[in-house]
Amino acid sequence: MAPLIALVDCNNFYVSCERLFRPDLIGKPVVVLSNGDGCIVSRSQEVKDLGIKMGVPVYQVRHLIKQHHIQLFSSHYSLYGDLSARVMSVLEEFAPSLEVYSIDEAFLDLTGVCLKDPMAYGQEIRSIVRRNTGIPVCVGMGPTKTLAKLANFAAKRWPRTGGVLDLSDLVRREKLMRIVPVSEVWGIGSRIAARLSQLGIHTVWDLARQPAERMQEQFSITVARTVLELNGIPCLELEAIAPDKQQIVCSRSFSRRLTEYRELSEALAEFASRAAEKLRSQQSVAGHLSVFIRTNPFNPQEPQYQRSAGVRLNSATQDTRMIVSEAHRLLKALFRAGYRYQKCGVQLSHIQPATTPGQLDLFAMTAPGWQTDSPALMQAMDRINRRFPRGIAVAAVGFDKAWQSKVERLSQRYTTDWRELLRVRCG
Amino acid sequence: MDQLLTHACPTDRWRPARTPRRVPLPLLAGKVAAGFPSPADDYIEKTLDLNELLIKKPAATFFVRAEGESMLGAGIHPNDILIVDRSLEPADGKVVICALNGALTVKRLQRRARQWVLAAENPLYADIALNEGLELVIWGVVTNVIHPL
Repeated sequence: MAPLIALVDCNNFYVSCERLFRPDLIGKPVVVLSNGDGCIVSRSQEVKDLGIKMGVPVYQVRHLIKQHHIQLFSSHYSLYGDLSARVMSVLEEFAPSLEVYSIDEAFLDLTGVCLKDPMAYGQEIRSIVRRNTGIPVCVGMGPTKTLAKLANFAAKRWPRTGGVLDLSDLVRREKLMRIVPVSEVWGIGSRIAARLSQLGIHTVWDLARQPAERMQEQFSITVARTVLELNGIPCLELEAIAPDKQQIVCSRSFSRRLTEYRELSEALAEFASRAAEKLRSQQSVAGHLSVFIRTNPFNPQEPQYQRSAGVRLNSATQDTRMIVSEAHRLLKALFRAGYRYQKCGVQLSHIQPATTPGQLDLFAMTAPGWQTDSPALMQAMDRINRRFPRGIAVAAVGFDKAWQSKVERLSQRYTTDWRELLRVRCG
Repeated sequence: MDQLLTHACPTDRWRPARTPRRVPLPLLAGKVAAGFPSPADDYIEKTLDLNELLIKKPAATFFVRAEGESMLGAGIHPNDILIVDRSLEPADGKVVICALNGALTVKRLQRRARQWVLAAENPLYADIALNEGLELVIWGVVTNVIHPL
C-alpha cells in the first residue's frame, strides 16, 4: 500500500480568523499586525495583489493603507489559538494520525484511508473544515511529507487546482516540479537555493534528479533526505508528540525605547519567568542561561549598543527565582546608561529532563530559609497562573510594565469572553 | 480587606476570586459514613452535564448574542445567548444566522411555493424572499437559546 501524507494548511490564517466574525470584510483588503502592531504578519489576497509583502513594517506602507482603506487588526492570539484548536479537532476525524505542525498547518497520515479517490477526500476535508470552523484551507497530498508540502504550495498558488492537489502520480509530479523554483521546497532556504543555483540546479525537478549521496557530501544529510523525499521515498515520520524544545527563548521589542535600568530589569524578569514556565511545562531543567539587550539596529542616527552574555548555571534548574536572579546578574554586567534600548531577551539552553541527576553545587544554599530549588513552590505558582492567567509573579516583574507592546486594534474576544460575544441582529 | 488590596496595588494584578467552574462529581453516599456499603453504590450513574446536552460538535459550536426583536415569536429575546452549530445542514424551518449585505442576522429559513424565504418571527418585520440575484451565506444553525428569566 503506497503511503499517502496530506498537508492541510489554512489560507491567510489570522486574516481568516478575523473575517469569520466580520463577513463585511470578505473581499476587502485586511491585514493582521505583529506584536506591538509594528509589521504585517498576515495579508488577505486583496493586499497581496497590491504587492505588499509579508513582514513589511506598517509605516512603510502607510500611504497604501490609507489609499485602499486597508483594515488593520492587532494579533489576537487567544482567538487564533481557539480557532486553530477547532480546525485540528475537525482534521482529527479524517485520519488515524495527525501531526500539528504549526498554528495553522497539520500533516495527516492518509495511508489506506481514501484509496478510491484521494482528491475527492481532499475536497471533503476542505469543505467540512470550511463549513464547521469557517476557515478556508488547502490540501496537498503525496507519498512523503516534502511532496505533501510541495503539493500544498501548488494548490494554494494555483486556484485552478480547486485547492487540492495530489502528487502521487509521477507524470503530474514531474510536470509541477519542472515549473517550481527549488527555493520553494520545504527545508531549502535562500542560501542553499543560491548554492544550488550555482551548480545549475534551479527547479525542483533539477534537485530531484540529483544523486542523494552527492547532495549529502556537498550540502548536508538534510538536503539528501529532501532529495529522497522528492522522489517518493519517505524519510520523515509523522511526529504525534512535539519534541521537547532544546532551547527556550523569550524576548520582545518594546513599545517605546527604554533607558532606565529598572525598566529593563522588569521586562527581563517577565521574560525570564515566562521562559521558566515553558521549561516547567515540559518537565525540563536548564543548565545555561543567556541574556541579550540591544538598541534599534534600523535607526542609524542613534548610538548603537548590542550585547549578550551567558552563564552556566551551577545546578540545572527550573525555578523562576533562580533564573530571574541570574538574568539580573547578567543584566547588571551588560547595561550601559545613555542608550535607548529597543529589545531584550532571555535564552535557556542545555535542557535536560528534570529527573536526570545533575551536578550538585556545594555552594547552592544562599540566604537562610531560602531553598535554592523548590519544586513545590513552582508547582503552586503554575497552578495559580493556570487558573488566573498572569495571576502571580515574582516581584521583580513590576507593576506598570512600561515596556509592554501596544495593542490598539484587538478584535473582540468572540470565543473566550462572555461579555464580548459576536452580536447578531434580529431585525 | 478588598479595599486595602485595591489601594495598595493600583493595577488589576489583584482580583477577587472568581467562582470556580463546577465539575460535577457523582455523589458517593455510602463510602464515608458507616463502613458498610450503601444500596445505591451499584446504581451510580454520571451526573447531568449541560455541555453534553447542548453541544454536539464542540469544534463547530459558537455562542452569539442576539440583539433586536424580530425573532420574539421563536422565543429569542434581546440579549439572549444563542448556541450556533455550523456543522448542521440549513433546512426548511431552521433558525439560522446568515450574512445579509455583510451583516449577521437571525432569521427562520422557510421554503414557500418553491422559493426560499428568510422569515422574521414578529409581525412587525418583513420577510425576505431569496431571488437569483441575492447572495446568501449561512453562518450557522441556531440550536438553542439561553434566556434568563
